[in-house]
Amino acid sequence: MGAVTAGGLRRSAVTVFLLVALLAAVGASLALGAVKIPLHEVIDILTGKDAPGPATQIVEVLRLPRTVEAILVGAALGVAGAVLQGALANPLASPDVIGVTSGAGFGAMLIILLRPEDLDLLPVSALVFGLLAAAMVFSIGFSGPSGGGVGRVILAGIAIASMFAAGTAALIAAYPDRVPSGIFFLVGGLTSDGWNSLEIIWPYFAVGFVLAAFLVRPLDRLMLGDDVAASLGSRPRAIRLTAAVAAAVLASAAAAIAGLVGFIGLVIPHIVRLAGGTNNHTFVIPVSALGGAALLVAADTLARTIRAPIEMPVGPFMVLLGVPVFLWLLRKVV
Amino acid sequence: MVSAAVALLSVTLLSLMAPLQPARAKSERIVALTPFAANTMALLGVRPKAVGQTLGGDRRLKPVLSTTRVLPLSHPSGPNLEQLAQIRPRIVFSSPRWAKGSEGMRQLGIKVIESDPKSLGAVYRQTKMISRVVGRQKKGRKLVRRMRKQLRKQTRGIRRRPKVMLILGVGRTPYTFLGNSWGGQLVKQAGGRLLTGGATASGGFARISDETVIAENPDVIIGVPHANTEDIPAMIEYIKENPAWSSTKAATNDRVYVSTDNAMLQAGTDVAKVIGKIRQNYLKNR
Repeated sequence: MGAVTAGGLRRSAVTVFLLVALLAAVGASLALGAVKIPLHEVIDILTGKDAPGPATQIVEVLRLPRTVEAILVGAALGVAGAVLQGALANPLASPDVIGVTSGAGFGAMLIILLRPEDLDLLPVSALVFGLLAAAMVFSIGFSGPSGGGVGRVILAGIAIASMFAAGTAALIAAYPDRVPSGIFFLVGGLTSDGWNSLEIIWPYFAVGFVLAAFLVRPLDRLMLGDDVAASLGSRPRAIRLTAAVAAAVLASAAAAIAGLVGFIGLVIPHIVRLAGGTNNHTFVIPVSALGGAALLVAADTLARTIRAPIEMPVGPFMVLLGVPVFLWLLRKVV
Repeated sequence: MVSAAVALLSVTLLSLMAPLQPARAKSERIVALTPFAANTMALLGVRPKAVGQTLGGDRRLKPVLSTTRVLPLSHPSGPNLEQLAQIRPRIVFSSPRWAKGSEGMRQLGIKVIESDPKSLGAVYRQTKMISRVVGRQKKGRKLVRRMRKQLRKQTRGIRRRPKVMLILGVGRTPYTFLGNSWGGQLVKQAGGRLLTGGATASGGFARISDETVIAENPDVIIGVPHANTEDIPAMIEYIKENPAWSSTKAATNDRVYVSTDNAMLQAGTDVAKVIGKIRQNYLKNR
């Protein structure tokens, strides 16, 4: 009984810590930028007390949508990683493994390099090709006389990802003068373009998060092994397929907005498991969402302020913030 | 009485005519991100509130713009949108390369006009367009006439037409400028026979191998490094000393040149001057 209480306390502490970290990161994201706006003015703007002007535009049109995007993208990638690692029972599983990242990268580069005048189509193209890559992986991984399996999904994922990566490389080689516009997408980064991208992509986030919420208990049963899960009335194959679809939708939507941000999906669920001391998905999935959101908001704030007015890609800053924590936990807990 | 009536009539006529006059541009509320738009505005007598800082592009700005605020540009959005919002421009002359940022600018209520010509014809068309936007149409037409005259002068009397390979140096990978690139068109106007190794691409550049350079055996090689300022010296050395090109006529006759500003990459108002420089310094066909 005492052990359960200690475990519960530890998980509560981790949840509260990440919640506070997320709130602090959101505060910093809204308050800091290339233009200095005093904190009280930011609060006045957000509460509707400040008169319209450049500061109001900066906070309402640029910083607020970007912060919301960072929260959603970070949460989506954290959840996608947690769901995939649980469903495939593989600690190295992440959206990269099911080809989503490479597919989305190819879709984005198609628009950036071939149709730069139609940049509005970038999120849609990234989403479509991300989902297409995942669909190809699943159709190969879960079909055939033996019904497929986790090993086949992972191998198919590597092959399909390589195929799309090769396509991206070919596009880059063909259009060298336009490549700089695409680099930001390939290394991952948010941009300040108001609510445009979110207006198109939010339904995919909604579908992905709802599917992930329904998967919490089935994934816990899957941890007991396929036979035990089946004896409890679950259908392991259906759970894996649903999990893969949820992860693909979330990761594609994230890539459509922020480019290829690879680190969160792989590492955040591990950090959450190590810190919370449990593999229970009731804890791991929602807290991975919190952790992913906190890390991406914090990293994006650093990326756009450290060399302001020049904005840096967010990827290196996520690694800078996340890897020391991950290695410290790895050394301390495992 | 009559003079009063005439004065009244004059005032009425003037007030009726006023809307037909081009509105004088509020220069303080226009930002020019491309050197072309900035210089065109300067030549039209309108000063932008801020100009964009491009790699090598700043050196081509008119002296009158030396005290104008400079906005650093970076991929993929171009200027920092927070800085831009603070300036509160009414209009931004941008480039398709900053299309991602254009979305954000429009969200800020800014009118975005793309102005980064890719051909000589587009230079004239866009000069007229900018003059309309800033309300200096007459000056715009005069400017275009002057540019055409200067171009005619600079392209007169071409006696030799050397074979030219124009190479874009990205890292250690050579790309050739094609006929549809800005630099390619300048070389052709200057009297060069542009070699492309048979490559075609809608983007205006194609990757080529050193073997192609040797096979085409150009009389002149002009290298255009595309890199950060601090990397340019190493790239110049690489282009000038590239052992793979040593058997070409260009190398044996010591006619491998390097153009370090961005005149070959991005259009400017100084078309005739750049063509004159190509003829004088590289093609030597004056």
